[in-house]
Amino acid sequence: MANPNLEMLHGMLYGKGIRFGRLSGLARIIAAMTGDHADVVPFQGPQIHDHAMTVAKVPARKYYWDADLLVDVHLAVCRWYGFDSATIVADAYNLEVEALGAKMIYSDYAMPTVDVSDPLIKSPSDLDKIGSLDPSKGRIPYGIKIGQLFLQKSPGPFAGGFFCSPWSLICQAMGYPKAVRALKRDKAFAQALFDWAENQAIWPYMQALRKAEVKNANGADAWAAFPELTPELVEEWIVPSADRLRERGKKELGMTVSAGTAAADYCEEDIAKFDKEVMFKCWTAAAKTFPLKVAFSGMGRTQEWNMHWLQEYAVKAGTGGKKLPVMASLNGRFMRDSEPEQIIAKIAEWIDILGRDGRMLVFIGNVPADTPSLNVHTAVNAVRTLGKYPIAKDLSKIKVDSPQFKPFDEWLKDQPEADIIFKSRQSKAN
Amino acid sequence: MSDEKYQAISKAVTEGEDIQTGELVKAALDASLPPLEILQKGVVDGITKAGELWKANQYFLPDVILSADAFKVGMEVLDPELKNTQTGPSRGKYIIGVVEGDMHDLGKSLVVALLTSAGFEVVDLGIDVPMDKFVEAVKTHQPTIVGLGAYMTTTMLIMKDIIKELSNQGLRNNVKVMVGGVPTSQEFSDEVGADAWGRDALDAMQKALTLVGG
Repeated sequence: MANPNLEMLHGMLYGKGIRFGRLSGLARIIAAMTGDHADVVPFQGPQIHDHAMTVAKVPARKYYWDADLLVDVHLAVCRWYGFDSATIVADAYNLEVEALGAKMIYSDYAMPTVDVSDPLIKSPSDLDKIGSLDPSKGRIPYGIKIGQLFLQKSPGPFAGGFFCSPWSLICQAMGYPKAVRALKRDKAFAQALFDWAENQAIWPYMQALRKAEVKNANGADAWAAFPELTPELVEEWIVPSADRLRERGKKELGMTVSAGTAAADYCEEDIAKFDKEVMFKCWTAAAKTFPLKVAFSGMGRTQEWNMHWLQEYAVKAGTGGKKLPVMASLNGRFMRDSEPEQIIAKIAEWIDILGRDGRMLVFIGNVPADTPSLNVHTAVNAVRTLGKYPIAKDLSKIKVDSPQFKPFDEWLKDQPEADIIFKSRQSKAN
Repeated sequence: MSDEKYQAISKAVTEGEDIQTGELVKAALDASLPPLEILQKGVVDGITKAGELWKANQYFLPDVILSADAFKVGMEVLDPELKNTQTGPSRGKYIIGVVEGDMHDLGKSLVVALLTSAGFEVVDLGIDVPMDKFVEAVKTHQPTIVGLGAYMTTTMLIMKDIIKELSNQGLRNNVKVMVGGVPTSQEFSDEVGADAWGRDALDAMQKALTLVGG
């Protein structure tokens, strides 16, 4: 079954108890999101561009310019790991400011990054000088092509384009400290910044995406995660901005524009400061911008969280007697730094708390470049083993075998992406 | 009277009132109050209180940013006077920079502010700092501690090379190395052979004080 609509229908029916056939990855996710549960807890494809580049051993100066290569590397690496979906995104925070003239640093081994020592916006008067984004400039065409290829090669509800959400774009253009000062001390300037980001930077990009038949775009907003912004500031600035873009996208382009993804993501690092009340506020604010109605954990130090709190929130915030689906995200550094046994134990703990009543999905909050592949394979294998429904009464008695997998290069030889990946290794520049 | 002035400066820093902080510090200097007391009882007291509020979950990053800005303004006014004053023994020299290929400096700026307030003589190498520049700076300044920051999982890997190069050049035994930045962790710090990991700016300051026995 390769038709995403049929796969989604299959998932919906399965989730509602009409269980037949073997679920695809997409169907499994839909079953967990919309129904009681799937056959097994789904493992969503994480943001993985740095790590995928490292696994595929492709040069950064080609990977971050060549949409075909970036998409094929993502698809191959996600399939190698066995995720239930692919998330395909490049350096989502850079494309608009780069095209508008921000100074960038390019590297042989890392993604491009904005030179914050010489920001695009130094004073309010710069807003008038920058002008509107020209979608033919910089790497905007690359972003558009990634969206097209994603839809073409891995169609479904999660496929589409990406952009940098207004608040993170403002931070990229002027630096977070000055941007946050504007929010707190100069609301008129802050509003002018949002107007500029939404209408002059992002909107032309959305128009170009739509023209290229990409009808769905997701806007990353990590600078709006907690504690960079409080949930109150997210409610005051990020949610209304996301609403404006969503409405305008729907009305003028017939397009789904989802800004503010990862806003209010609870990323407190200090365990001693974990605060249930603040977490609940964050999850509530996050749900207002996140494209899916879920209890969301993203990039935070989730390995130390009390997951009973997330479960309690999901039950309270659910409707019709069903809890909100829970996105349980393994922290990227935890994935990189842990032994496989620790990963298995963490997944067992989470499934025990969050998965017994279904509506649980597992995810990784941005996989670091140097994460051992064994750890990612271990996580996927552990979820597949421990997350089978009905969940075993005593998960400690379930043995999770070591994952069996071929080295990436050996596996790749038989894959459709082999040619582009192997050839790109011979190229050093775009 | 002087205590009231110090309290007002401290309050302005804590509340992130940068313009007011500058004016109050200038007024205190004009009133011939000792620069060192203005520093300790006013500016540093204010940023310390902001740090305490941050730790107690009453302040969040936007609040700390405003306090750090006010602290910076206060220090700019105070600095020329402090240089003319015997400020007593420093905690030592601390070289800090964000590694090559990485331009993120928010965390570093906060660490610099807090280290300065704790009495370190900070040499800020800035962002996108090549390995050779770190090594040269260690040779030139002979610091007690060198701090390496990175924000990306790709650039953080350079930290290991820098620490190795310090060893190769016979400099490692004479300097403590700290690492920090969003993608780093205690495990990473151990793996690259650093002496300490700063989880956040306040933690970095406290670990630095521990390293110098203070």
